[in-house]
Amino acid sequence: MLNRGYYWLVLAVSIPAFIWLVPTIWMVSLSFQPNEVLARTTSSTALGLVPYPFTAQNYADLFAFGDTPLWFMNSVIVALGMTFGVLLVSTTAGFALARLDFPFRTPITVFCLIGLMVPEQAVFIPLYTMFADFGWHNSDHALILPRVAVPIGVFLMYQFFKAIPKDIDEAARLDGVGWLQIFWHIMLPLARPAMMTLAILTFLYAWNDYLWPLVSAQKRDFFTITLGLASIQSNFAQSEGLGRVMASGVIASLPVVILFLIFQHYVVQAMTVGGSKG
Amino acid sequence: MLGLLGVVYAAYLYNSKRLSKTTAIALGVGMLLVFVLPGFHPGEGGRWYDRRFWPIVGNTLTFVGLAVSGVTISAMLLAAVLNRETRAMGVLRTAFFLSQVLSVTVVTLIWSIMFSPRQGLIANVTELFGGSPIVWLTDQNFAMIAIVITTVWWALGIAMILFLAGLQDISRDLYEAGALDRATGLKAFWYITLPNLKRTITLVIVLQIILHFQVFGQSHLITNGGPTDTTQVLVRYIYQTGFRDSDLGRASAMAVFLFVIMGAFSVLQFVLGREES
Repeated sequence: MLNRGYYWLVLAVSIPAFIWLVPTIWMVSLSFQPNEVLARTTSSTALGLVPYPFTAQNYADLFAFGDTPLWFMNSVIVALGMTFGVLLVSTTAGFALARLDFPFRTPITVFCLIGLMVPEQAVFIPLYTMFADFGWHNSDHALILPRVAVPIGVFLMYQFFKAIPKDIDEAARLDGVGWLQIFWHIMLPLARPAMMTLAILTFLYAWNDYLWPLVSAQKRDFFTITLGLASIQSNFAQSEGLGRVMASGVIASLPVVILFLIFQHYVVQAMTVGGSKG
Repeated sequence: MLGLLGVVYAAYLYNSKRLSKTTAIALGVGMLLVFVLPGFHPGEGGRWYDRRFWPIVGNTLTFVGLAVSGVTISAMLLAAVLNRETRAMGVLRTAFFLSQVLSVTVVTLIWSIMFSPRQGLIANVTELFGGSPIVWLTDQNFAMIAIVITTVWWALGIAMILFLAGLQDISRDLYEAGALDRATGLKAFWYITLPNLKRTITLVIVLQIILHFQVFGQSHLITNGGPTDTTQVLVRYIYQTGFRDSDLGRASAMAVFLFVIMGAFSVLQFVLGREES
């Protein structure tokens, strides 16, 4: 199969693949160029794709002044908090719905899964008023809580636990092992791959979410990096300089890109499972 | 909405051969009339008339149509080419998927400067070839195309992966049998790959419709809905009505409209997913 045609094919697809990468390369390259140069031209060397004249000043400035480090930390807290919360709720709910017997189990399951149909964009207004009544806006938990009980997470874990043969916990039950112990010692270890997928899906969603932070966090101190980046990109030329805004963009992308490059298989799987649902 | 349901129901009855064609059409038109006559229609003077809402729904539909077809066609072609388990192909797939993990604000940051007539890479390239740069974001004809290009660049990865999964399910025997009939290359793609990929194509299209109907960031951050509302989309209008104009009631009503449409597609997605397994 690996004939000459194959090498031509790889070469031919490499061109669009490179074009696909160009915008990202450009962002990284601009972030390493001095703002004074960028104010004049963005195509100093090789259309600006090679960072020459080179400087790391933009990154130094980023950590010295401005809110980017704070926003970055907010994003870390929100993303990790949400990931932990989703894992907790989804594994317990999924386990209960799939393997325990209790009244109204089927209607409750159906009710949970109907939530899969509801897009965030359709409910963010009532959610906003609700959180306003509680006086919760402009805080980390306001950014975390609305997305902790996600139907897609419950659905994923439900499906996973449903597929495990009944014999396993029946045998354990006969030995007098309680449900909590079955959950903790038998089910969770089995569910590791599914939990990994769910964790990555949630982390990516939390890191990249824009609409909810936009309505909930109105004070700059509580911006996530995604929201903060939006707030500085409208007036980048005047205030901070193109290079520094691009540096913020690189910093904002770094965690998800690293996650992607390390756990590529899980990330692709998570995003495909997530599909449209975040 | 009920009128529409009536039409859909009539179409369903017709498809399941319980009604003749004429009766079905008559029923559909009749149901529509029940609602149009008392004034429930979006035309001028109707109770559903709204100077800005319906054009914005139209913009959203235009965006969805362009983005979905753009993503679906390019993802399918790419997947067909990249459908080999070799190292080089893996690297190329990674290259195409990478943009998918970026957040909407990073994507819009990159592309609003890419499209800039003074600083943008695209303008720089056109100038290199002696052309005059297009003012992408403030030209009524190009603003929508600009956010569609951005979206295709951003959202291609998942569609490509779904197509790759669909392609792996097509048996190699089919291609070998086809090769005997001298169906190779493009011919094989047209006569073997496409027909066997129908289900995946439908699934990808439905998923993309749901995804792109929720478009917000691209319009909000790249073009601000402009020029003159040409890229104003539904979610951005809901957001503005609710939070800039503080009209939460009207915003909620539009959110329900969005929910009904997306709900319908979600059900469709669920049914398709069921058939798959």
